[in-house]
Amino acid sequence: MFDSDHQVRLAGKVTKFEWQNPHVYIELEAPDPRKPGSKPRTWTIECANPGILNRIGWKFNMIKKDDPIAIVIAPYRTGEPAGLLKQVKLADGRIFGNGGPAGPPNISIEDGKPLPAAAKP
Amino acid sequence: MRPAAGWALVLGAALLAPACAPKTETVAATAAPTFDPKDFSGTWDRYPQPLEAGRDPSTLKIPAPDAIPPPPLKPDFKAAWEAEQKVIAAANAAGEPIATGYTHCLPDGMPAMMMAMFPMEVLQTPRQVTFIQEAYNQVRRVYLNDTLPAVEDAEPGFWGHAVGKWEGNDFVTETVGIKENVKFRNTPHSPAMRIHERMRMIDADHFENEVTVEDPEYLTGPWSWKWVYQRRPNYKMYEYVCEDNREYADPKTGKARLRIDHD
Repeated sequence: MFDSDHQVRLAGKVTKFEWQNPHVYIELEAPDPRKPGSKPRTWTIECANPGILNRIGWKFNMIKKDDPIAIVIAPYRTGEPAGLLKQVKLADGRIFGNGGPAGPPNISIEDGKPLPAAAKP
Repeated sequence: MRPAAGWALVLGAALLAPACAPKTETVAATAAPTFDPKDFSGTWDRYPQPLEAGRDPSTLKIPAPDAIPPPPLKPDFKAAWEAEQKVIAAANAAGEPIATGYTHCLPDGMPAMMMAMFPMEVLQTPRQVTFIQEAYNQVRRVYLNDTLPAVEDAEPGFWGHAVGKWEGNDFVTETVGIKENVKFRNTPHSPAMRIHERMRMIDADHFENEVTVEDPEYLTGPWSWKWVYQRRPNYKMYEYVCEDNREYADPKTGKARLRIDHD
């Protein structure tokens, strides 16, 4: 469903943060960096569940509507504005992953450039 | 609570020891029992944790259990099961997984809930041992020294009917009455399926569960594997209500899709 080989970095404003099972969702208004000059869209970002996220340090209220955040996602294969979270950088600079099952990012949360590990075969 | 029986033995041994006994004997006696082998209560993770799976197995303190073997299905059912496994593997390899029961917010049921996908809590009371799996708020009650219904009389459910007894330090359970649509590893089964478990403490922080599934209609013989759990001290279980899954099954392809509320 999600393409972990072609990860995308998005930066924008949170329009909704839904802390619930079986998945936490972030809705984010951001332009698509793969389409320069395109209008911002509202992205649906799937995260792990509250239990997994709590166990790696997230809190139910650490993301709020209107927060400026940056994220790395594995985009939804249909091309619609959605994806699976790999990493998030909060307004206060803290960076969180999305738990073991989601896997790590292969591009930088800072500038979207490939991380060294991604160069490995 | 845990070491009550063990410490009573230690205390007894200490009281019986002669006053002139060398100090070394006292130290050895008090250091021996560190856990009660009949107490599984507490919170547990599956072992080894997935992130540890890539580690050199020789570095694990407790050996990792072997991979679960394929079900020994009778020839009439084996080809269909193998074909389905190939379809699932190909869909996963293409990054387009097929929707599962989880997509429909369905819990594991038995025996899958005992894999401890998320933390598992065990509560022991005089009449029952209760297993709580954080994922999907699953609760399974194993009644002690009780009688199972005959399989033809067992109302089917996700967790069925389970009884347990102690054989030495082994906690031995038997479970019947699993709904036919509750499948472990996509394996078909009949109402006559029986799940046997033998649980024992390995040390203070690990216990193992030898699982054997029998089904005279579908299997050529017993299907056995082992799960191991490691203690997760002081963990408080989270609630889990499958409230709003934006993933859904595509009605045409059966593949998992994502509902997008805004664009």
